[in-house]
Amino acid sequence: MKRLFSITFVTGFLVVALATTLWPLPRHQRFRSLIAVPADGGRQEEFIIHWPEDRIARPGEESAGLPAEAVVGAAVLEDSAGRRVSAELFRLRDSADNVIGVATRVAGTGGAIADPGRSSSNWLLVIPSRGALFLRQTDVVDTTVREQSTASGIVALAPGATAGFWTDRSPFRVTAYSPGMNGSATTGRVLRGTNEFAGLEGTFSEVWTLEEASAAGATRGSILLSTQTAAGS
Amino acid sequence: MRTLVGLLGFALGMLLGCLLLVFNPLASARGLRPLPGDVAPVKAYRWEGYRGMEISVASLLGLGRGDRGVALMDPALRGVRMGIIVLPAGEGASAALAVKVSTIADENSLWRAQVATNDYWNIFWPGEGSVFASGYSNFWGVLRDDFLAAALGSDEAPEVTGRLVSALAPSGTSTGVAGASGRYAGFTGEIRELRYPGEGDAKKSEPGWGIAIKVNPPPVTTR
Repeated sequence: MKRLFSITFVTGFLVVALATTLWPLPRHQRFRSLIAVPADGGRQEEFIIHWPEDRIARPGEESAGLPAEAVVGAAVLEDSAGRRVSAELFRLRDSADNVIGVATRVAGTGGAIADPGRSSSNWLLVIPSRGALFLRQTDVVDTTVREQSTASGIVALAPGATAGFWTDRSPFRVTAYSPGMNGSATTGRVLRGTNEFAGLEGTFSEVWTLEEASAAGATRGSILLSTQTAAGS
Repeated sequence: MRTLVGLLGFALGMLLGCLLLVFNPLASARGLRPLPGDVAPVKAYRWEGYRGMEISVASLLGLGRGDRGVALMDPALRGVRMGIIVLPAGEGASAALAVKVSTIADENSLWRAQVATNDYWNIFWPGEGSVFASGYSNFWGVLRDDFLAAALGSDEAPEVTGRLVSALAPSGTSTGVAGASGRYAGFTGEIRELRYPGEGDAKKSEPGWGIAIKVNPPPVTTR
């Protein structure tokens, strides 16, 4: 009887140990990394966002019923001095158009952030199977999302998503070639990465391309984020 | 009688295995200490307006279907949660607009007491500056709380105050402030994240969250 108890006790213990080891914990799906190696070293990788389909709506948000130029998946915070910050959520694609992760763009104006008429923006690119990249730039114009009161309520308007923005300027490079007078003295920088991107730093550019503008004022287009990175010091 | 003894032995063996697993000492070995409240006050926030997965022990273990109304259906985004958050003003700082993205950590392992997420922050204070930060949150303590609540037959989680979930990442990736701009340019620092039990029925309501950021200004250099 004692022997039976011992054997079944150990069996019970081993069942838990086995279940602990073999339990199928969730893992991220990974797509092959599409990286090019330029002649002078480092690595180049391009990421694409299509608007409006890659905008990630906030819970309860519906694009149906909104004005044509309004966007979903955005929020705005403005202080009493008119200094504005906006946040946008996107799906992120590789150059083969696979959805590989998510991207967030947070842009701000005024004060220590950017010169008048311009904004500074931070991109956070998260590819679950590979890690995250932190990008920062000075923008050539103010690219923050604005809020406007309409018959449908308060809606968010992103500059690139409004047909009026596109007057003989597609493609439009958002990343400033030179830093602004205020804020950090850099533009288009890959600051750091995590996991697979750990230790990388470099430069990037953000380019918007208009693909279609409707008579109602709605637009379709893409955002291209081109990164060039190398192992940092 | 023999069957009864066999079943008892098996049940007790499983119970010992479960207890050793849940109270795994490795869980606290990689935990981080809280930051002093006067240096890095905790900003409590709600994260109800999210898209993607629910952060619960069940979803981190791959159980449960989650809320299909907010889930991200792309195959590569099944283990992602993201949302826009307003961090409240206070302690000399204005309110900030932030985006937090959490992904299930690929290194998760039950016998190492790791059911965790990698967390990424993109925070902007209007007119002042911005901070990027990354962290690693291990929810093993929450799993232990849920286990105890179930064992004691209570719907209420035993934790009353916030549970610190920040831990050292097993991958060795450094966490904390990854970059800053504007008034905070050149700053480095650390972050800590807390999880508070949901109000009322803790199992049904969304938990509360808190973040503490300790920033260190860059060293002053003289010519």
